[in-house]
Amino acid sequence: MAEGKEVVRGDGVSALGVVAPVEILIECGAFSGSLGALFHLVREHKVDLLGVPLAPVCEAYLRYLLESADVDMDRAGAALAALAYLLERKAWNLLPSQEGEEPEVEDLLETTEPWVHEFAPAIEALSQLAEERSLVFFRSTDASPYELPYEPDGVSADDLAKALNRLLEKAAPDPPAAQRRPSRSLSDQMVEVMGRLGVDFLGFEELIGAPFTRSDVVWWFLALLELIRLGQARVRLEDGEVAFARAVAA
Amino acid sequence: MNLMRALEALLFVADSPVTPNDLASALVVPVYAVEEALEKLGARMHHESGLQLVRIAGGYQVATKPEYADAVARFTTPQRARMSRSLLEVLAIVAYQQPVTAAEIDSVRGVDSSYALRQLSERRLVTEVGRKSTPGRPMLYGTTQHFLHSFKLDALTELPPLHRALPETVGEGSEADQGRLELD
Repeated sequence: MAEGKEVVRGDGVSALGVVAPVEILIECGAFSGSLGALFHLVREHKVDLLGVPLAPVCEAYLRYLLESADVDMDRAGAALAALAYLLERKAWNLLPSQEGEEPEVEDLLETTEPWVHEFAPAIEALSQLAEERSLVFFRSTDASPYELPYEPDGVSADDLAKALNRLLEKAAPDPPAAQRRPSRSLSDQMVEVMGRLGVDFLGFEELIGAPFTRSDVVWWFLALLELIRLGQARVRLEDGEVAFARAVAA
Repeated sequence: MNLMRALEALLFVADSPVTPNDLASALVVPVYAVEEALEKLGARMHHESGLQLVRIAGGYQVATKPEYADAVARFTTPQRARMSRSLLEVLAIVAYQQPVTAAEIDSVRGVDSSYALRQLSERRLVTEVGRKSTPGRPMLYGTTQHFLHSFKLDALTELPPLHRALPETVGEGSEADQGRLELD
């Protein structure tokens, strides 16, 4: 650094958010410390930013991005946010003010208190509480919010509900009423589903086949549930996703 | 009627925390008598039982003792989904800042939190508690009774105090002891 010294390291202190920014150490006449500390002290109006050269800090940051083998994007993002804030504040400070008055600077970052890193101890505390809670068991309170009369082996009702929700989000809207297909029965749908089910397990989306509407998804899901209940279809988890297959005859 | 044994029976069948008022109504006895009996029951269970009486989510409930956690877990094979750091972060913000809008959470975190909010709602840890009286009337979020239960808290006031922390490098002049958040 021309007017100071800076060092970029992979490990840093937390100053911006729970994710600590890349640590850039700054040493100059007006300030000595990390980028995170500078950010905080400028926000608190405890450091005169005019005495801190920011260009070398930006260069150090860019060098970190270009030269580091494994850039941590979260930490790099936190550092970028800090630098952007500092540059804006300094730009405002450099503008000439009339009658010697300080320009009014809208500090958007001050509108959100507390800053997210202040929740870090709370997160640790919640983790600890959850850990302690996991050692204590109550009657029935851990029951799933979804209930099915039949519990498929290894697949919870939550897994099924999540698969349904995921596909519903992807589904196209139903066509207008005038173009709607004739109403169908669950029995017909079950026949169609059985025709598609094979010995090999297929994911829900793979089974239904694109394109599909929200109604299609609901019909397929209901038919699959009924077939599972009747023991004609099997379901299991594959990489966290539910997959279906035709039941194998005993 | 032996009040303590009657209470034990009610607490055995209760699948959620029950208040002394509820117990008193069921047993047709004064609330103070229930509270006294609960205290004795708790002390007795502490010494003579594999169960314990805990005050949680605004009521009382019977739970297994932590020392038998391994055996109970093997027996019941509970499915416990661990919470990611981002989920805990959003949950902490909601817990301490409630009622809070999604935009306010995003503003504190600097990233979109809608997925985390959906996950927390699905886990019944946060819920919609109303709408903010600002343009657009955004939804307000707060924690649930299930949140208290999941973290073995009796009330939100039992949450550990949140102090404003500064980076260690700031050194003297730290304001770490300032800004304790107020809980609703």
